[in-house]
Amino acid sequence: MKTGYAAKIAFNNIRKNYRFYIPHVLTGTGLQACFYIMLTLSMDKRLSQVKGGSVLPFFMTVGAAVMALLSVMLIFYTNSFLMKQRKREFGLYNVLGMEKRHIGRILFFETLYSAAASIILGLLLGVLFYKLCSLFICRLFQTDIVLGFYFIKANTLIPAAMSFIVLYFLTYIFNRISISRMKPVELLKSGASGEKEPRTKWIMLIAGIISLGAGYYQSLSIKDPLSALTWFFIAVFLVIIGTYFLFTAGSIFVLKALKKNSRFYYHAERMTAVSGLIYRMKQNAVGLASIAILATGVLIMISSTVSLYSGMQGTLDNTYAQHMYITADYVDENGETVLIPAEDMEGMIRNVSDKYSCKVLAVEEQEYFDAVYVMNGCDFELVSDQSASTDLSGLCDIYFITADMYEDLTGTRIALEDNEIAICRISSSIGHTKTPDKAVTIGGRGFIVKEHLVYFPISAGMGNVVTCYGAVLPNNEIMDAVFADQQIAYGKDASHYYHRTAVTFEDIETVSKNGDDIQESLYRNIADYALEHNARNGECSTRVDSVWEAKENILGMYGALLFLGILLGLVCIFATVLIIYYKQISEGYEDRERFQIMKKIGMSDAETRKTIRTQSLFIFFLPLIVAGIHTLFAFPILNRMMQLMMLSSTGLYIICSVITYIVFAIIYLLIYRATSKTYYKIVRL
Amino acid sequence: MEILNVNDIRKTYTSRFGAQQVQALKGVTFSVEKGEYVAIMGESGSGKTTLLNILAALDKPTGGKVILDGMELSGIKESELAVFRRNNLGFVFQEFNLLDTFSLKDNILLPLVLGGEMKLAEMTGRLNEIASRLGISEILNKYPYEVSGGQKQRAAVARALITDPKLILADEPTGALDSRSSSDLLQMFSQINRNGQTILMVTHSVDAASHAGRVLFIRDGVVFHQIYRGDCSNEQLYRKISDTLTLLRTGGDKQ
Repeated sequence: MKTGYAAKIAFNNIRKNYRFYIPHVLTGTGLQACFYIMLTLSMDKRLSQVKGGSVLPFFMTVGAAVMALLSVMLIFYTNSFLMKQRKREFGLYNVLGMEKRHIGRILFFETLYSAAASIILGLLLGVLFYKLCSLFICRLFQTDIVLGFYFIKANTLIPAAMSFIVLYFLTYIFNRISISRMKPVELLKSGASGEKEPRTKWIMLIAGIISLGAGYYQSLSIKDPLSALTWFFIAVFLVIIGTYFLFTAGSIFVLKALKKNSRFYYHAERMTAVSGLIYRMKQNAVGLASIAILATGVLIMISSTVSLYSGMQGTLDNTYAQHMYITADYVDENGETVLIPAEDMEGMIRNVSDKYSCKVLAVEEQEYFDAVYVMNGCDFELVSDQSASTDLSGLCDIYFITADMYEDLTGTRIALEDNEIAICRISSSIGHTKTPDKAVTIGGRGFIVKEHLVYFPISAGMGNVVTCYGAVLPNNEIMDAVFADQQIAYGKDASHYYHRTAVTFEDIETVSKNGDDIQESLYRNIADYALEHNARNGECSTRVDSVWEAKENILGMYGALLFLGILLGLVCIFATVLIIYYKQISEGYEDRERFQIMKKIGMSDAETRKTIRTQSLFIFFLPLIVAGIHTLFAFPILNRMMQLMMLSSTGLYIICSVITYIVFAIIYLLIYRATSKTYYKIVRL
Repeated sequence: MEILNVNDIRKTYTSRFGAQQVQALKGVTFSVEKGEYVAIMGESGSGKTTLLNILAALDKPTGGKVILDGMELSGIKESELAVFRRNNLGFVFQEFNLLDTFSLKDNILLPLVLGGEMKLAEMTGRLNEIASRLGISEILNKYPYEVSGGQKQRAAVARALITDPKLILADEPTGALDSRSSSDLLQMFSQINRNGQTILMVTHSVDAASHAGRVLFIRDGVVFHQIYRGDCSNEQLYRKISDTLTLLRTGGDKQ
């Protein structure tokens, strides 16, 4: 057979099988475009230099890896579907005298055409949308748009194209092997023989229930955020297994039970729907389970990234009671570390602020230390070997200040005897035991709880996952004693006293705009101060922690996460569309004969439509409902993980989840309606 | 009493662009009495299948009338046709047309369930009675792919009978059966007919036709000839049919 002839046949085949090929090519196009975008984002130097952009390369590399994985799965899925539908055609070619290598050649050209179309279109789309995506990211980072992005770049264009060429070549090899294994007579007959009624797979049913139950139980029972992170992936794995097993075995179990119930079963619509569903579930359980899992993925990804992003301000407000914290010291000529006195510090701060015409509301001197304890009922114990356990549930971090410091910061005096203490729970992880209300021991020292405070003037700051307490101690002696206790217990890992100057500004928006300059200017002032005071080698150490810097970091991280969440969410929705579409047409061809027989023995078109609707609605709603239930059960564990990422508002998370679910349901419904039309067309032929 | 009256039925097929017209039926006229067993014979392309589709109300004639038990088929609304078919006609097809997804029992019950008016107890009563008559009581819970062709066809006959139809339309019922199953089925048809069931069978098997009470021959879209059984045995009728077919083939123009 001449090559030109094979090329021509291949072209005609694609045209004839447009119902299968168009989605295949579209899938390839979409995936190629997304992959290119991710890859380019991960390497775009200009974008990683914008404020908050430093995390982009990492997140986008992860994204590109996930995209690559999804691409392999989806392209192989559409390919296997394509091959299944066309086996008969190939069998016929074989019977008509075409050798298998000829079929292989035709297949080669078919793959070549569809791969070329997908890759070229995909890269074109990718290049077009890259600009849009980078603008969107700048928007998420809330920075000014960097103009002049180069958006065509050979160093990502070529690897992106090459990976897909390899992928398509693999599908070709795969198809070639399955063709060489086929037996033409069997292929011609395929689909003609009757199918056995599926049996209830008891082992699978029970394994599915156990696996799903275990996954759900983990989500419900995990108490502390850090183990939530580790167990989350195990729970996800269990739920995925459970979903596949239950869709396969559970659905058939339920349908068979319905069938056994004669009163329910012998009814005009139910009878055809139930028995049809039993067979449909046999073939489509895996597809439906995949839809349910993808849908859950979309829901979780989008709702969590959206709520992280939109809850950012709340997170910042929670962790930054003041706007800027400065700690500065220098080493004097005698080799001693000298802290810059509070008055001098305040002078410098006001000086710098005036220069940038920012009004300072308050400058406070904070002296405190914090130490980690294991909480055991009413006892906070010093346990030196913390690393032995990853279980954070008993751990807590206590911030200590003296009653004098408390008065300085809040203006309120708490009169405390030597054995008295005031406690405040600053933050807590879910399920943490309640605050002791009468008496406590801290590192073995007993105290009577005089007062429970609602507000503690020292904020715990970012990065705390354990429960935080604030404690007001009667005086410096007691404070030093408690400090010494933990120094003995923890040795070189012990914490030390913090002296920091906390600044609150009037208009944080304006201050943030000049944030970098203010910080820079402060550093310079302090360096000058150190020189004036004869610091050894003019060295000084200054640490500034500001809310705007934190915001920049958090914006970069959450913005990148949100972008990933949206893009991967879109790809998952696309995958869902694809599976539904292919399911509808393959079922259409199978159901066609069945409905024609029923028409002959007296089923009207209206009744046919009704039956189809009953079946379709069931199949349509099932994954959506399952995805809803999964999301619901995933909620506790995700909520705990969100705490790890500093999102403290459960309410916001709930709202984001609900909105995501509704939007997803609407999109799903639209997709379904569109694909149903194709199905009706096929069945009614 | 006349149960079916076919009067001057014509059917013209027009090709897609209207360029060519093919007359499948050129005016078929005959009638069937209640309790009769009529076979319609003809070669491929003679118009048998077209005629059967029209009688089954699956297709509409271009001209002429079909009256079943006093009702004119063309007068029935499109939306009521399915119900009409279900209540008045029973079908037996060459390819059985049993649904793979149903057990034989469910296949047989399907027309009654679709009707939706009968109680479950009555349905099963009818089912058991017919199943024992046709000798398939033992295999009711099996699936079509688990039983032989003959058994499938019996189930199909049971499905046709369960609605107690006015007329059974059989389209090459022995076409997919071996000789043994064929003769079993034909004896079954004769027995059903003796119980008073009207049967109209389309076939080109002489053996099948020789069981009928009357044989109509269709050629080129018209009823060309007919033979009554009279007092003939099956064998005698068989010979008569054979002779007629030979005559038809050699181009006799007897009417």
